[in-house]
Amino acid sequence: MTSYLLRRVPSAILVLLFASMAIFAVIRLVPGDPATILAGQDASPEALASIRADLGLDQPVLTQYLTWLAGMIRLDPGKSYMIGGDIGGLVRAGLLNTVVLTATALLFAVVLAGLAAIGSVLANRRWLDSVLAGANTLAVALPTFVTGVLFVVVFAVILPILPAGGTPPDGFFSRPGIAFQYLVLPALCLALPSAAALARFLTASLQTELGKPYVTTAQALGIRRRRIVLTQALPNALPATVTVLGLQVGALLGGAVLVEAIFAWPGLGLLIERAISDRDYPLVQALLLLSVLVFVVTQLLTDIVNAVLDPRIRLGGAS
Amino acid sequence: MSTGIDASSSAAGRPTGGLAADPPRRWPAFLRAPGGAAGATMILIVVLLGVFAPLLAPYGPAEQIPNANLLPPSSAHWLGTDEVNRDIFSRLLFGIRVDLMVVFIAVPFGALIGTVIGLVSTMYAFADVIAQRVFDVILAFPVLILAIGVTAAAGPGVTTIIAVIVLAEIPVFGRLARTSLLTVRAMPYVESSQVIGAGNTWLLRKHLLPNSLEPLVVQFGVSMSIAVFIEGAMSFLGLGVRPPQPSLGSLTRDGIRNVWESPAFVVGPLIIVTLLVLGFLLVSQAISATRRV
Repeated sequence: MTSYLLRRVPSAILVLLFASMAIFAVIRLVPGDPATILAGQDASPEALASIRADLGLDQPVLTQYLTWLAGMIRLDPGKSYMIGGDIGGLVRAGLLNTVVLTATALLFAVVLAGLAAIGSVLANRRWLDSVLAGANTLAVALPTFVTGVLFVVVFAVILPILPAGGTPPDGFFSRPGIAFQYLVLPALCLALPSAAALARFLTASLQTELGKPYVTTAQALGIRRRRIVLTQALPNALPATVTVLGLQVGALLGGAVLVEAIFAWPGLGLLIERAISDRDYPLVQALLLLSVLVFVVTQLLTDIVNAVLDPRIRLGGAS
Repeated sequence: MSTGIDASSSAAGRPTGGLAADPPRRWPAFLRAPGGAAGATMILIVVLLGVFAPLLAPYGPAEQIPNANLLPPSSAHWLGTDEVNRDIFSRLLFGIRVDLMVVFIAVPFGALIGTVIGLVSTMYAFADVIAQRVFDVILAFPVLILAIGVTAAAGPGVTTIIAVIVLAEIPVFGRLARTSLLTVRAMPYVESSQVIGAGNTWLLRKHLLPNSLEPLVVQFGVSMSIAVFIEGAMSFLGLGVRPPQPSLGSLTRDGIRNVWESPAFVVGPLIIVTLLVLGFLLVSQAISATRRV
């Protein structure tokens, strides 16, 4: 296990390092001087110089990069240009909303996918499989902004039964029933593509497992199909599904930006959208690095979980 | 590739000539699957609407019509009018053109670059190491986060959308072409050809390229579908086309902004986006299904 970690962790760190360079370099390419953006077109040269010194823009590029990276590692990403205030504070303010939204979506995705896959395998009915396959194709194909807008139009405008957006006024934990009403549409909309991907994969791996000799043996011993599926096939199908789940975190991160925009959900997605339109580059940089960090770390954790579950991976070749 | 399989199988199935010439035989196999035919029809409808937009649209895409503010759908304005008195149906038709351009330019371009990099990287170990690390870094960005990063640097616009799609597709096709070529190269029939003295160029042309490019055709359809999503998502977030230019994403955004005054506004863009993404996905599913049979 240690040798597996020694292979996998440094390569993840390397990817993060290169990604941080890419983010820094790309934002440096932006035409226009940040000091001029900040102080306005007709600021005096002295004012511009003092802003440059304040932001460290008079330093060599490499020093600027290292200072920025050191700040990010110390969890002190510095100040935002336009929105104002400390970036750390802005991120913390939006973090809870985004985490609650994506965690609920992940839960919905797992539950929906599990129900669809186990239901299809247990029922073993052709019509149910066709219905599920159709629903699956729709859920994969329809972009998040289409389902989101459709949800708002149907459930908030035409049949006004759920709020069209925003977060619950009393927070998530004091009145869970109200909080759920606010959460259900955005979380479902965010969950659908991931649920479809997971369901497709889990169904396929369950069917592969059910074709294996140990299942035939279990059937010959007279064990019920339901019990075979739940206690034998499902545990064996899970490790590979974990990988797909890890990849879905990337889709959820990107999807959260769209869902937050549609449902006016004040999380990190809305923050990055505002940072872009306000040209608040330090904030954009920090949020980009944060999402890459979350994505790379999730994939690393997925690989480690897989290695724990499956000795063939951790003992495998050096690739 | 799929047409090649089709031609050979039908030629083997029944002798050609005489009265046996029924038209469906010439159709590619994937079009005969119900999903494939439906998908192709959806794409065709949208493409025709977009191509003939200047002939079909009753108004210009940015033309403001006096006394027509947020009108509901009527015979004069099939999908109603928007908040600055423009005909939504006309804007929708012209908006399709942006998506068609983005999809049919960016995806083939990204696919071509990615495939070439993937194929070259199977030949030189050094190129392989560099390409794989670069792909790792690009793939560390979820696609919409990548779009945000590129837009932060380059500013919104159609070129930015194209750049994002090309950048996102390069590692996808690069990895796919690489694994696919390596898999085919390990096949027994390739070894047999080498044993009986086939040259490298002949092998590449006759066995390796045709067989390793097949999975890329399936990915191509999926990528087209994703490209429509990327355009829509970027323009929806205000990172895509600049106003007043319409696109499917920007029209959806305008629609949801006016949803309380005019709920019908958003219907048109939603239908067209759905036809397009679903069409590409169904065609690619049909191709991959017929390939395995």
